[in-house]
Formats: sequence, C-alpha cells, structure tokens
Amino acid sequence: MNVAYYPGCSLHGLAKEYGISVEVACKHLGINLKEIEDWNCCGATAAHSLNHELTISLSARNLAIARDMKMNKVLAPCAGCFSRLKGASYELRNNKALAAEVGEIIQAEPPVEPEVNNLLQFIMEEQGIDALRAKVVKPLQGLKLAAYYGCLLTRPKEVVQFDDPEQPVSMDLILQALGAEPVVWAHKAECCGGGYAASDTDIVIDLSGQILESAQIAGADAIVVACPMCGVNLDTRQEAIAAKKGKKYDLPIIYLTQLMGIAFGYSPAQLGLKRHLNSPFPLLQSKGLL
Amino acid sequence: MLNTADFYHVLRIDQTSNSLREEIKEHCHTDIEMCLECGKCSGGCSNAHIFDITPRKIIQLIKVGEEAKLLKMDALWSCVACQLCVDRCPSSINIPRIMDYLREKAYSQGVPASRPNVELFHELMLNNIKRFGRVPEALLSVEFNIRSKQYTKDAEMGMKMFFKGKLNPIPARIKNIKQVQRMFRDIPAQREG
Repeated sequence: MNVAYYPGCSLHGLAKEYGISVEVACKHLGINLKEIEDWNCCGATAAHSLNHELTISLSARNLAIARDMKMNKVLAPCAGCFSRLKGASYELRNNKALAAEVGEIIQAEPPVEPEVNNLLQFIMEEQGIDALRAKVVKPLQGLKLAAYYGCLLTRPKEVVQFDDPEQPVSMDLILQALGAEPVVWAHKAECCGGGYAASDTDIVIDLSGQILESAQIAGADAIVVACPMCGVNLDTRQEAIAAKKGKKYDLPIIYLTQLMGIAFGYSPAQLGLKRHLNSPFPLLQSKGLL
Repeated sequence: MLNTADFYHVLRIDQTSNSLREEIKEHCHTDIEMCLECGKCSGGCSNAHIFDITPRKIIQLIKVGEEAKLLKMDALWSCVACQLCVDRCPSSINIPRIMDYLREKAYSQGVPASRPNVELFHELMLNNIKRFGRVPEALLSVEFNIRSKQYTKDAEMGMKMFFKGKLNPIPARIKNIKQVQRMFRDIPAQREG
C-alpha cells in the first residue's frame, strides 16, 4: 500500500537511525512510503508555545500537499510531528472559522483529510499483529524490554483516539509478536521532558531520570521508543542522569523499527544501530541476535 | 432536586471579572465553569512538583480574573504539554490549550518569561523555520549556546553526536520557502531575532 510519509526534521538529523529503520521496516512490510513533497517543519514545541495560528498553518500546508498527492493516510513516526499534524487536522475539522483563516494563509483548501497515523496505530491497523508475527525470521528471544510510549502517541485521547492514554498496550503487543518479553512497568506513558532538551536540560534530567529508574526496577534490558525526542533524551542524557544519581543504568534506547528490522533479519548497519550513545551491541550480542 | 445547571451555577465564584474566562471560552473552546475542583489535573501533572501555580489553581485564578499573575507564572515556561491534565479531567477542560493561550498572550504583551532561555530557544527555532522551512538542529544548538551565553553547553555530547552522524552541518532549505514565510506575516516582530 501507499502512504504519505512525514519524516520531520529529527528523522533526517538527531534520530537518523529512526528514519533509516522506519524505511527498512516499512519496505519489508510492503508499505510504499511516499515522502510529502517539500514538507516543512511541524513547528514542534516552539510554534504551539508562541502562536496557535502558526502551528496549525505549518501542519495544514503539509496535510494539503499529502492530499494533493492523493494520499488518504499520513504516517508520522515522530510523536511530536504526529501530535502537531493530528492536532491540526482535528482543529481544521472542528473549527470552521479557524479552518477558513488557515486556508487563506496557506492559499489552499483547508485539508480535512487525510488521516494521520503514528507508527503504532499504523502497524496495528494496517498490518495487524498476526501479519507482523508471520514476517519474523529471527525472534527477539530473551530480550526483556520496557515499551515506552511517552506523552504524545496516545494523548490527548479525544484527538488521538487510539489505545489507552495512560496504560497503552499496542507497543507491548508488537514487541511480543517480535518474540521479545515486554516488562510490566509504571512509566510507559510518562513524559521525558520533550522539547526542553536544550533549553532547560534540568527538566529532562529530572523526568527522564524517573523513566530510567522505573525501567531498571522493572528489570528491563533496554527501553524501546517510537519518538525521536524520547529516544534522544533518554540516550543522550543518560550519562548526566547516572552521574547525578551516582549509579549506572546501561540501558540502550532502541527504536521500535530497529527491533522490527532485527527480527526481520536485517543487519545492524542497515538499521543504524551504531548511532546510539549507549550502544545496544553488547546486549543484542549477548542474546545471540547479532 | 438540584439539577446540573444549578450545580455549576454555584461554582461561579466571581461574576465581576470574567473577561479572561470569556476570552478563554472563545479562543480555547473550553469552558472552565465545568471545573469540579477535583484536582486530578494537578495530581496527574508531570511537573506539578516544580510549578509555582499548579493546574487546578490556574483554573481558579482564571475564574477570579487574576490575569497579571497568570501571565508571569513560571508554569507557562515549565509545562511539558504532556496532556495528562486534559485526559484526566472529568470535564475535559483543555488545560494544555489554555497554557498555550496564556503563554501566547504573555509573549505578545512582552511580559518577561520566567525562563528566558526557554523563550529564546522557541524564538530561535521559529526564526530557523522561517529561514529554512525546517529545523537545522546543529545550527540551532550553536545559535542557542551563543545567544544564551552558555558557550560550552553540551559541547562534548555535541561532538559525540556529530561523529555518530546525528548532526547535519549544512542546513537545507525547502523549495517553496515563500509559502512558509507567509505564515509568519501576522506574528509580532521577534525581539532581537
């Protein structure tokens, strides 16, 4: 099937390995990613923090291009981009006055279609667990994983309308289908500190620290993410968090699509596994997966 | 028997200063009169432990029209927009949208941000989007360090990330940048930007 693909800035930069592995995993599942032509940044935290109309307009342009490409679904693997696109789509559908204003700004019919999906919803609804399981050639046996959803893959519930907002299960089910063992833990949908990565790092160290702590208590070997902000915060700030708490975590932060790639039989190089600061190699080698 | 309308009427604690409340109703499409004062928003809040004013109190301050206090509160610049408050609210009051509305109002009126670096980062990011259509992450980090005078912040980590191929040294501009720049026309000139 064809789907409009919105990588967003991070999948071309800070989380390149997420972008690479999304492409590998989707190709393997027979999904043709059609990148939205000349897409612009979703505005991220900055735009919605300072200007509501701007944040809706930035996403509306991307949705309008996807619509003009005759796509009825947009896949946005970054949870931040997903939230902006999905939120804009919701507002354009429900707020006619704003939709008219935005249409004037982007000089196009306000795009009320297409549907916006994050990676989890897309896999669950377009593939399904059984189809996914059938593609596994190397089950991730012996891997105890903390499925980490963060804030925006399932919230706000009225807009996202997928999975449970605070006790989600979709990623756990996907990991199970890949042969891994998801752990039961308390922080699967807590916030990592998101957009404060550079601007107020202490917030990230505090919130991401609680997540690492919780995953460790639950006995996870690694944390699995489907969002570049979660991925980058938990990976790059782990050293500072460990220093602050005076302990070691040694928790690799792995993108869900990288694990799908391993289970589908792809090599570490094809999945960008060398790009992490906390290397997943020792863990994956110890389980005989590399 | 008390019907629902009467019940909510009891909660209208201040009939005299309702302009902010009306504004929020109009712009945020959410009615704070539906607040039950249950405190689930503050209970769920990711950053309540560092907020100067917690979500439930914010709703109460809107009710009594304490606008000046709200526009300078630190919570505007430390909210992580994690959406827990709105999802836990039995009345679905859209607190994250209210926070955005108040922050936008504070910003457009030039109320000093309690965390100037957070505001600066947002401004620099928007300037880059205006210039390139996308965010050049490496350039943004360097600009932020210089402008916030934290010259060596994350320098070591930045080098590691560079060698892992995570930072693109050359920013890319989208083709139709004019369409994006058009979106910025109504935005008040950003200070020093």
